[in-house]
Amino acid sequence: MAPSNIDKPAMKLLIVEDEVKTAEYLQKGLTEQGCTVDVAHDGVDGRHLALVHDYDVIVLDAMLPGIDGFTLLRALRAVKQTPVIMLTARDSIEDRVRGLHDGADDYLVKPFSFLELLARLQALQRRGRAQEPTQLKIANLQIDLIARKAWRGAERIDLSAKEFALLATLARHQGEILSKTAIAELVWDMNFDSNTNVVEVAIKRLRAKVDNAFTPKLLHTIRGMGYVMEARDEGGPRGEPPP
Amino acid sequence: MRRSITTRLVLMFALGVLATLTLIGAALYGVLERELTRHQNDELNTNLQNMRYSIERFGDLEHWARLQVKMDTLTPADASVRFWVLSDDPRFLYGKGLDEMERVNQGEAGRGMLTLPLSGRTYRTRSLRLPPFQDRPAVRLIVGVDTAPFEHTLRTFLVALTLLTLGAVALVIGAGWWIARIGLRPLQRLSEQARALRPKTLSQRLHLEKLPVELEDLTTAFNGALGRLEEAYQQLEGFNADVAHELRTPLANLIGGTQVALSRPRSAGEFEDTLQSNLEELERLRSIVNDMLFLARADQGEAATGLAAADVAHEVEMTIEFFEPLLDEKGSSVAVEGELRAQATMNIALFRRALSNLLQNAIEHSPEGAKLVVTITQREGAIWIAVANPGKTIAAPHLPRLFDRFYRVDSSRHDAGETHGHGLGLAIVRAVAAMHGGATLASSEAGLTTIAFSIADRAAAAS
Repeated sequence: MAPSNIDKPAMKLLIVEDEVKTAEYLQKGLTEQGCTVDVAHDGVDGRHLALVHDYDVIVLDAMLPGIDGFTLLRALRAVKQTPVIMLTARDSIEDRVRGLHDGADDYLVKPFSFLELLARLQALQRRGRAQEPTQLKIANLQIDLIARKAWRGAERIDLSAKEFALLATLARHQGEILSKTAIAELVWDMNFDSNTNVVEVAIKRLRAKVDNAFTPKLLHTIRGMGYVMEARDEGGPRGEPPP
Repeated sequence: MRRSITTRLVLMFALGVLATLTLIGAALYGVLERELTRHQNDELNTNLQNMRYSIERFGDLEHWARLQVKMDTLTPADASVRFWVLSDDPRFLYGKGLDEMERVNQGEAGRGMLTLPLSGRTYRTRSLRLPPFQDRPAVRLIVGVDTAPFEHTLRTFLVALTLLTLGAVALVIGAGWWIARIGLRPLQRLSEQARALRPKTLSQRLHLEKLPVELEDLTTAFNGALGRLEEAYQQLEGFNADVAHELRTPLANLIGGTQVALSRPRSAGEFEDTLQSNLEELERLRSIVNDMLFLARADQGEAATGLAAADVAHEVEMTIEFFEPLLDEKGSSVAVEGELRAQATMNIALFRRALSNLLQNAIEHSPEGAKLVVTITQREGAIWIAVANPGKTIAAPHLPRLFDRFYRVDSSRHDAGETHGHGLGLAIVRAVAAMHGGATLASSEAGLTTIAFSIADRAAAAS
């Protein structure tokens, strides 16, 4: 797993989830991402924790013993505006509408991937942060988001519009693992599991232009999960594509 | 409350018979009463005219005495016919209980009913005023006929009629019940046939030959439902087998890979490799499950939501743009033709998903450097998006089944690891079309395969 960015302030999270295994891996994964995580296994505990403490984000299952997620959310919203990500078991429109109506900030349909949850959490955290920079710099890669140009050291890299969009997206999320689905959504606005190798091919072509002839390597494949752009120490962590 | 057909039929038979017999009885009773009345009136008239003739001709007391004897003679012993003569002269009076008559018969001459207070007998009467003649003053002649025998006849008739009617109704109830039972026996046979149907014998049908024509519609409809059920059942069984098969490969990889990894001490790096490989299989499983859930919802008739107005050609271009890296790799190109200005109301994400499945297939099944064509056409209230690619011709029998779940033209191709889908791509295209009120089409000849889907053209439908 790639380390989380050190410049991010640690998030304080509450997970309200009755399925023990799910709660367990979420707590483990998010703690390793540098978050402080509390867990409640039913609605009553969850409501208590949510009302007593101030969390950055609450991850809330819709189906809970005790009181259900929607009820908990309404009780919370009566008091405070902590951002909430709802987890719903069914991809039903009613649940979605109900959740958003009751004040959820985002929702995820089970089964969701951990990466997806991470991305949503980071998006919620980014919300309200200072304006995006116009320049990005990772090691000797420099990206000008206004002029839409990129350099590796002194050398200008020639990129098509979509290649630049892909590079900028990866660089903006440096240190975050982006799944193929997330990349397809962010770069091409393709909002579904596409069952295609388009992203793999696009990354391969981008890597040929941005990474192959330069050091250090910045664009890394995390097998089975996606891609991450970051400067790693020499002989850094595993997960490199085979040569 | 559940009502039995037998009870209903019997009740209706009984009510029908009761109504008929009551009507006939009432008519007969009326006829009888009128005839009896006419008979009494005839008798009254005969006696009245006879007596009037005798009284009018003579005016002296001698004849009056003879007349009294005559009236005595004419009055039967049971007093069923009686005569009265009223006058101001006491010498010219006749009849028993004249004082009563004075009291009760104050009216003018004519017809009437009279009940004698002492005997309680009721007489139908007719009276006549006769002018004075010689010694005799004006008199009133009254003839009465006892109504008791007639009333007795009427009453007997009514009682007999009522008893007969009730008897007939009882008879009809019994016979009706028996007839209904026999008449409904074919239904019983039909139920027995239906009861014998089992999931394993779904190909069985209800036999029409021995059933009456009235049950033909029901039986035919039922057999039709059985046919559809059988088809759905077979599809489901086939589908289950396909799902199981599709899930088996990743599961086997997961189990085998994990067992191998755990069978001896390994470095963290090797375990990481195994976990990553597992993750790939798990992602594949997740993708199958998600797609199947999507198809299940479409099967339940869920219509697309989140509809927005969109420029069809623009959406097509955006989707093609997504595939540019793949197209570049193969040196292929896509041209967009047809109604480039078509507008549609649709769920854009679903539309792109359907089109990207078609493009993915087209790129995969065409040679390098192929020229693909996306054609947009508007016809008959629908907007059609067709993707054509040069490639191996698909045999005609496969074409209609291409959109079935897990259907593969060439089963060996699946294992070659070339395809990126899992056999649900075109099923999803069909589901998206259905959610937009559209359809799908596939054709393949002379090395050109065209697969198309449509969405309802709401603008055309509205105008």
